[in-house]
Amino acid sequence: MAIYSFWIFDRHLGNCIFDREWTLKSNQSSGTTNSKLNEDTAKLLYGMVFSLRSISQKLSGEGSHNEIRTISTGKYRAHILCTASGLWFVLLSDLKQEDLSHVLRYLYSEIYVKTVVHNWFSPVDFAESDSEKRGQGFRKIRNRNFLASVERFLGPMVN
Amino acid sequence: MSANSASISASSAGPKKSLKTFGDDIWKNKTAKINAELFTLTYGSIVSQLCTDFERDFKKVNSQLYAMGYNIGVRLIEDFLARTALPRCDSLAQTSEVISKCAFKIFLNVTPQVGNWSNNKDAFSLFLDENPLSDFVELPMDAAKELWYSNILCGVLRGALEMVQMDCDVWFVNDVLRGGQSTEMRVKLNRIMKDEIPAGED
Amino acid sequence: MGDSGLASEVNEHQRLQLQFQLFQESLPKVDETIYRMLLNEAVPLAISVEKSLTHHKEDATGQLEAELDSKLALESQQGDASHKLLKDYLAADQDQQTRIKTRLENIGFQLGQKLSQLLIFSNNPNLSFKDMDLLSVMKFVCRDVWKQVFGKQIDNLKTNHRGTFYLLDYNYKPIEPFTLEEDLSDQEQKLIEPFLHVPCGMIRGVLASLGFEKEGQVTCQATLVDPPDSKQAGAGTFTKSVSFNVQVLVGR
Repeated sequence: MAIYSFWIFDRHLGNCIFDREWTLKSNQSSGTTNSKLNEDTAKLLYGMVFSLRSISQKLSGEGSHNEIRTISTGKYRAHILCTASGLWFVLLSDLKQEDLSHVLRYLYSEIYVKTVVHNWFSPVDFAESDSEKRGQGFRKIRNRNFLASVERFLGPMVN
Repeated sequence: MSANSASISASSAGPKKSLKTFGDDIWKNKTAKINAELFTLTYGSIVSQLCTDFERDFKKVNSQLYAMGYNIGVRLIEDFLARTALPRCDSLAQTSEVISKCAFKIFLNVTPQVGNWSNNKDAFSLFLDENPLSDFVELPMDAAKELWYSNILCGVLRGALEMVQMDCDVWFVNDVLRGGQSTEMRVKLNRIMKDEIPAGED
Repeated sequence: MGDSGLASEVNEHQRLQLQFQLFQESLPKVDETIYRMLLNEAVPLAISVEKSLTHHKEDATGQLEAELDSKLALESQQGDASHKLLKDYLAADQDQQTRIKTRLENIGFQLGQKLSQLLIFSNNPNLSFKDMDLLSVMKFVCRDVWKQVFGKQIDNLKTNHRGTFYLLDYNYKPIEPFTLEEDLSDQEQKLIEPFLHVPCGMIRGVLASLGFEKEGQVTCQATLVDPPDSKQAGAGTFTKSVSFNVQVLVGR
């Protein structure tokens, strides 16, 4: 399959509340989780999706929500799911994967909802004050059910 | 990234009839169910305990029910969106239809009537003919004057709407439990919370 | 001759079963998710009430009252987020934690009483309340009550036949998704405690409504346990097993 990385941004725009990058195709436990090293990449990725999304909504005119689904470059494809609650689930994959929307849906409804939303130990709002909004947030999803579920689901798709 | 306006507006949440069918279908097929009576009893026990805790200061009970509802609402919205995959609504009118035909239907299996629109269309009422929270409930005299028994619903709506960037006030106007003609919740949109602009982009 | 008599008895029972099932299915329903959320949010609620009662005592000026009176207070009604209130629980002192526990147990107790009334009058052909001894009542809790509230029965009931019972639920649903980060498992254990007060109260409430209502006659404690090997969840499920330990003083 070849998934490279998985990112979640929340509605406090620019706040990346989860990132998981796989570095070795052959090893599904390689790579980083919620790493400071990914901060810059997260901001760039966020910026790219934000800009293209806002332009395409302007192009499609008043009163409709036209959501970006994929962005392809010469080397990779980004797959995006935007929820009405402002969450963005983003997967970066090789070009062979044309449509991973079902994977994103599963990540949202079977993993995020089950292990974050239905988990009373976890926040649903990861910005705890105004200073943590607008991309300045730093809190991440770290609960072990979520992390383990992501590994179990996406791990096999890494190679 | 083609921009075909005609096909786009056709594919956005369609006429009222399809929302109703949509909501009904999810209730029938994608919902695990429990007996409503159990729900009524549980909620009743909670309200009762609050009345004891606050020594029948019903304003405080109302407030606490609202806060409880808010905390549920901010979570429930994700469950709702994951199940329905609905996009953000284009208007308050569409929002009212989604609340009535999808949200109330899927979670409580009731479909409140939407009505009593304000002149500038920024507020509407939900009329609940049936309310599983309050089935067979009778309020004692003092409570009937001040308690909004189902106030948790106001909090739930407020919390859920806030997560989709709608800053609304939600409150009860009338309740059959208090001797009113109907059970009526009012929803008023204060403002659409603009999507925050990332720092550095403005 | 004897056969046909037995057969018709069995058929009658089956008919009643089917009738009961159809009746149950025809009852009004609501979504299970909101029920679970209502039960779960009761815990932060109890904590929030405790905070509010404590503040009120400390606030001599009565400013809190005035705040609540105005409609602007709609915003302040929002209070703290659920997970924040749980953190407050950890910081609370023993007395506060006890009061929170009592509050939750009372909710459960009331629920248990009302629920058993409901189930008694439901014409369930499997239940006969005429000669219910303690063991039958406990079985009623394990099968009928648990099925109603949690969608499944208790997995194992152990007793010493002298008033001590262990009700084992190897996959207690309401708290299944509750986890923290990897290295906070102690906190996790402590935070799960308040979520078990409502079911404990519920068990006592059922027993009280079926004759075991003397003060202090029934106590119920819940603890997390490891599931038996045969029930070990497959990799990647996060079940939580709970043992409800019920002591009933019999005799006299």
